[in-house]
Amino acid sequence: MSENPYQTYDARILEVKDLTSREKLFTLRFVDSKIEDKFDFRPGQFVIVDIRGFGEFPISICSSPTRKGYFQLCIRKVGRMTKFIHRMKEGDVVGIRGPYGNGFPMEKMEGSNLILVAGGLGMAPLRSVLWYAIDTGKYENVWLLYGTKAYEDILFRDEIIHLLKHGEAMNCSVKLAYEVESPSCIYLEQGFSDKVCKGVVTDLFRGEEFDVNNTYALICGPPVMYKFVIRELLDRKLSPGRIYMTLERRMRCGVGKCGHCVVGTSVSMKYICQDGPVFTYWDALSTRGLI
Amino acid sequence: MRYIKLPSENFERFFKSLEAWGSVYAPVKRGGIYSFQKVHDPAEIALDYNRTMLPPKKFFFRPRDTVLRMKNGRWEENLEVEPMVLFGLHSCDIHGLKILDKVYLDEPADPYYRTRREKTVIVGISCMPDEYCFCKSLGTHFAMDGFDLFLHELPDGWLVRIGSVRGHEIAWENGELFEEVTDEDLANFKEFEEKRAKAFQKELPQEGLADMLDLAYNSPVWKKYAEICLACGNCNMVCPTCRCYEVCDRWVDAYSAVRERRYDSCFMENHGLVAGNYNFRPTRLDRFRHRYYCKSYFDPSSGYNCVGCGRCDEFCPAKIEHVKVLEEVRGSLR
Repeated sequence: MSENPYQTYDARILEVKDLTSREKLFTLRFVDSKIEDKFDFRPGQFVIVDIRGFGEFPISICSSPTRKGYFQLCIRKVGRMTKFIHRMKEGDVVGIRGPYGNGFPMEKMEGSNLILVAGGLGMAPLRSVLWYAIDTGKYENVWLLYGTKAYEDILFRDEIIHLLKHGEAMNCSVKLAYEVESPSCIYLEQGFSDKVCKGVVTDLFRGEEFDVNNTYALICGPPVMYKFVIRELLDRKLSPGRIYMTLERRMRCGVGKCGHCVVGTSVSMKYICQDGPVFTYWDALSTRGLI
Repeated sequence: MRYIKLPSENFERFFKSLEAWGSVYAPVKRGGIYSFQKVHDPAEIALDYNRTMLPPKKFFFRPRDTVLRMKNGRWEENLEVEPMVLFGLHSCDIHGLKILDKVYLDEPADPYYRTRREKTVIVGISCMPDEYCFCKSLGTHFAMDGFDLFLHELPDGWLVRIGSVRGHEIAWENGELFEEVTDEDLANFKEFEEKRAKAFQKELPQEGLADMLDLAYNSPVWKKYAEICLACGNCNMVCPTCRCYEVCDRWVDAYSAVRERRYDSCFMENHGLVAGNYNFRPTRLDRFRHRYYCKSYFDPSSGYNCVGCGRCDEFCPAKIEHVKVLEEVRGSLR
């Protein structure tokens, strides 16, 4: 690799898939096989996507590192750059640099239960953890609690429904909460009455028992979600050190220089891009402005 | 450290000799403002300047900088660097560069900053504080390293401290210009430093500063000053340790583009903005407080992110004084 950390490498879009009306799933592979072979990442890490001549933006990787030969990015159309990539087609080339950030401590959590709590687009980085856990089989039980607005907004709907049906065989239990009622949701609720409900993601904790000494919780969602989910976990006596969350800021450089993702006060300052984006709740208690 | 003496009559020849090491930039006075400019004649230099408007960071981390240039649809790095000599840096600015070094040379190092830094000779010069300086309270009033040569004013010349191998080389090549330091020179040096230490008018008590500020997160003083603040970002531009940048791609013509970075300011509303229009520092109060926290962050290896140069006070259009804000915040806790 070049010594210039701002240089990006060509990656070809192998597939573009509509997930919802706003989100698309891009499957990519580096054009240079040497770069492709070297590229490795942990669930929770992100890359910077470069559309040459138009700009860069950070996106977390949503595929699992156990699946070799490609990586996937789930991109919501929200601004100028994401609108641009949404117009791109299979075969087009973008620049990629990374992976950046710390990612989830997957080795440390081996042998434990994982509770993945996702809200909306927060499903993307947690999908990487989900498939990593299923593929490696190194974790006791995996719960995925996923809160979404409406049926149409469920990301990776096929996979979610597949796991609703067959998850138990993979030690994986999926639960889904939706806010807006629709015939499809009611159908889902009838099919999986103990797993699908109308409500918010915290409602999915009801009736779940877990061994707090052998469980880690991993959270990703919109800023408002963290407070409620963390309260739910703390009520069940889960240690703040076992609560991991992945956060978002305006990463420009990804390498701790540009200062856009700095949070904290005079006693504790953190760069989300390098110290994070994965933090424990202890970090949040000692660093103001983290959540 | 090696100490030698540069007699006044040799100053001009010494200064001219620096051109062999690169273009020489030194503080000059233009209008009412000092700034680092390319200088050929030592008579142009304002040796007794108080502070330049833009700190020497502008040579390494530029206000506007082309990082990548597009050739045939690919980015190529733009790393042409002229060798430079920065003459006449005050010790606070040398400390400021050391703080920037920690960020920009930390792995992965910024290649632009690193190359410029490697190709630049730093010559420091002693100074007398004015009403804005408070470097003494932060321990940045004396530079122990971070320079090649440091000139301390003596009645009949300069006491020169050599701070690097390159500094040794410069002194070696101009051996005939220097003399050994005498006891009298050392006495004069000591006297100057004592006089200087007494000349500081402003002080920032740093005892427990970081903790105190953290406790005073909800102090009404922040709000009071955030209302006075114009949020112009001047303090960020002139600060020797502020280093936020924004990146932007710009098309030069139909076939080529450049990726530029520019100084950014945490006072700008879009600094904390993320996708979907969510802003992590939506109010001016949040942004005002953030700057003070950033400047007062204490890193055990490099100290505070503030070197007490007084630029933010001198160039603040709202006349907000850094030390006064912090002292009022401290006062509000009592």
